[in-house]
Amino acid sequence: MSNVKIKSKNLNVYYGDKQALFDVNLDLNEKEVTALIGPSGCGKSTFIRCINRMNDVIDICKVTGNIEMDGININDKDLDVVSLRERVGMVFQKPNPFPKSIYDNISYGPKIHGKGETKSELDQIVENSLKKSALWEEVKDRLDEPGTSLSGGQQQRLCIARAISVNPEVILMDEPCSALDPIATAKIEELIDELKKTYTIVIVTHSMAQAVRVSQKTGFFHLGKLIEVGKTEKIFKNPDNKMTQDYITGRFG
Amino acid sequence: MTKEERLKKRHRAEKRFRFYGLISIFVALLFVVILVQNIFSKGSSAFKKTIITTEVFFDQELLEIQNGASQEEIMEADFYDIMIENLIKAYPAKNRDEEDELLKLFSGDAEIEIKKAFLNDNNLIGKTITLDLTASDDIDQLHKGNYPRDLPEERRRISDFQLVIYDYFVENKKISKNFNNYFFNNGDSRDPELAGIGGALVGSFYSILICLLLAFPVAVLASIYLEEFAPKNKITDFIEININNLAAVPSIVYGLLALQILLATIQLPRSTPLVAGITLALMTLPRIIIPCRASLKAVPPSIREGALAVGASKFQSVFHHVVPLALPGTLSGTIIGLAQALGETAPLILIGMVAFVVDIPSSPIDPSSSLPVQVYLWSESAERGFVEKTSATIMMLLSFLIVMNFIAVYLRQKFEKRWN
Repeated sequence: MSNVKIKSKNLNVYYGDKQALFDVNLDLNEKEVTALIGPSGCGKSTFIRCINRMNDVIDICKVTGNIEMDGININDKDLDVVSLRERVGMVFQKPNPFPKSIYDNISYGPKIHGKGETKSELDQIVENSLKKSALWEEVKDRLDEPGTSLSGGQQQRLCIARAISVNPEVILMDEPCSALDPIATAKIEELIDELKKTYTIVIVTHSMAQAVRVSQKTGFFHLGKLIEVGKTEKIFKNPDNKMTQDYITGRFG
Repeated sequence: MTKEERLKKRHRAEKRFRFYGLISIFVALLFVVILVQNIFSKGSSAFKKTIITTEVFFDQELLEIQNGASQEEIMEADFYDIMIENLIKAYPAKNRDEEDELLKLFSGDAEIEIKKAFLNDNNLIGKTITLDLTASDDIDQLHKGNYPRDLPEERRRISDFQLVIYDYFVENKKISKNFNNYFFNNGDSRDPELAGIGGALVGSFYSILICLLLAFPVAVLASIYLEEFAPKNKITDFIEININNLAAVPSIVYGLLALQILLATIQLPRSTPLVAGITLALMTLPRIIIPCRASLKAVPPSIREGALAVGASKFQSVFHHVVPLALPGTLSGTIIGLAQALGETAPLILIGMVAFVVDIPSSPIDPSSSLPVQVYLWSESAERGFVEKTSATIMMLLSFLIVMNFIAVYLRQKFEKRWN
């Protein structure tokens, strides 16, 4: 059994009057892929956005309870979100590269965190990040071209490269393949398999097959509640909960 | 109604609509053509002025200075007698009355023009040179064909004898037209042939410069704060509504405000580009904030999230990503706001820019005119020469506006980045 990297305790999230998450207690293991599944609007994305405090952006959003990363509560108001997000990267549903060159897309993070003081160090970070995200071979000759000129799948891998450029410990992926075709999806999945050797990964997905393929642990959310969590194999072969059973067999959702 | 009939009816309705659309575009184009044609036909002649080629002899007896005189000596010297003595020789006049009529064919600046020739070459005493002297407004308009010479004499500003002289000049090729440098270099004047937009151009330039320096930074910072940093609550909503309302306030109200506060209370100098610039800045501020906020709003939230997710602070995400992306829209909004300010007349009238100012302002605190106010002033003048000057000034103003709008469109298309 691997170490627990992130532990949420009685996590509640409210958007104004509406409660989006109810007492979520979920452990995420280090260097493992945890998949979060569930019907739309069930709170999966809300949950992962708590891990890097992206919900702070939304004025009406209120988060109570604890999320501990390596034993430190990251839901603490005094915690510096900038250094938290340096440790917890995120990849979004729709690829969102900056409208800048491929190089600038990746060097931006290291630059603002003061990593890669010299040009050659920065070049090295860019090259490593692109290699880790399996994009290097495709773009090494055109690092000056805008990131937006790449195909959808390449853009998403560019966003993954951007996330790992600051050398985080955790990568959050919010339906990273939902806007991609099957071939691009396969590439990203392969990549996730490779990345889990170094990073703790949480992936939100609507594809049951994807969850089975990439994750070791799966959590099923429904209407803001964590219904069931366990080893992926167990959740998909022999879930304890009737609702989980119904969802994975496609009876609702 | 059968199916075919209904289908036919739908097609007919579409055809009718296209026809109405074409007609309205045609009507709109027609108005533009009429307007432009009208301004051009009236104004284009103002870019030329009529000159009378005259021989000038610098007689030592009539001048109290010597060859090689210093600049100051020449400036102070009297060239009046030289002017009279030479101009009356332009046509063999028989008596004093005829000489007077002859002299009236030259502009009021003939003496100065002769003096300038001497300033260029202070060794002219005892020599004869050929000078192109500006003709008076009446001859100018007559020569340009704007003045009907077939009216009876008592209804003409030009006497029969002056027409005889004019015809003599034409016959001897002494009268011609060349580029009207006075129109661009001179300030306002009571004499149309000497009046120019130099003062108005400089006044407008200073006003717009001050307006830009005041309005642009304030508007951009206000937009960025309101759009990106301000909490969404009742106070920011109230501010937003008020900005939209201020953009719709008639410009003359800003003129009244400036009159009361800038002139009466703070006692800033009246009729100056400084006050005009501040007034226009107040008026332009909301008109820049609105497009500025719109272009900030148009930057997709995913860009902000992308920046935040790699650990950028709010400030960094805004100034590294959102603002550069919004810049083309911001700049073009600013230029269009300034173009509106450039054409604004009403508030400037209230702060005293309608004053008759001959001198070209050398600083923003000198009394001055501005282009639209100059149009307003000249359009009220009776002399024929001012009709073409008015239209020519409108042409200048319109070309500035077109250039500014073109720059705005260019900036937007050139620098606008596309995402996905």
